[in-house]
Amino acid sequence: MSVPRARLLDLLKARCELFSTTFNPEGIRTGNKIMRQRLKGPALASYYPRKLMTFRDFQKEFEPLGLEIDNEDEIDRLDHISELKARGKGAPKKKKGPPAPDPRRRK
Amino acid sequence: MSMFRAKKFDLGCFTNVRTLRDHSKRKAFEAAEPERQALRYIIRNTTLPARTRAMAQLQLAQMHCYTRPTQIRNRCILGGKSRGVLRDFKMTRYMFRLNALAGNLPGVKKASW
Repeated sequence: MSVPRARLLDLLKARCELFSTTFNPEGIRTGNKIMRQRLKGPALASYYPRKLMTFRDFQKEFEPLGLEIDNEDEIDRLDHISELKARGKGAPKKKKGPPAPDPRRRK
Repeated sequence: MSMFRAKKFDLGCFTNVRTLRDHSKRKAFEAAEPERQALRYIIRNTTLPARTRAMAQLQLAQMHCYTRPTQIRNRCILGGKSRGVLRDFKMTRYMFRLNALAGNLPGVKKASW
């Protein structure tokens, strides 16, 4: 005993209404697949951890209490730089104004 | 590209130019994702006129490469390396080993049997 196709389609239609899905018996591609996808941008954009608190913020928090905190890394860095400068190996001074034209250059 | 790069980064991880670039790409993709999905929907929808779909295809192809999700690559948050990055810990296998042995990763311990 075979069921006519029209009757099966009616059943399908009723089922789609019941469960609020799209009635698409021919299986036409409507791109709903894309619409159903969730946006993954926020998850991807939060991959790298955000800056929570810098040492300077930490120092600022404790300043009103009269507590002083030494940033050892910063002190080490400044020590290293002053040592380099004492040996004459420091970074050159920043230039002021545009560079003078090269006299050797021919036009 | 410079137009996607933020003036100031608020990243708390290791940064070099490659991590900053990757971060900018992630931000660009996040901003352009609704537009990309809309275009993708138009392209996949066969009930729309062929001309509309072709135009959507062109438009999607002409979007800046920074807005493409395939440009995003997970990088190590401790060293910026791109290869051998364990997704669960966001760090390379060697950084993972060092931190795991030092006990910095809760629940991770060296197997021995």
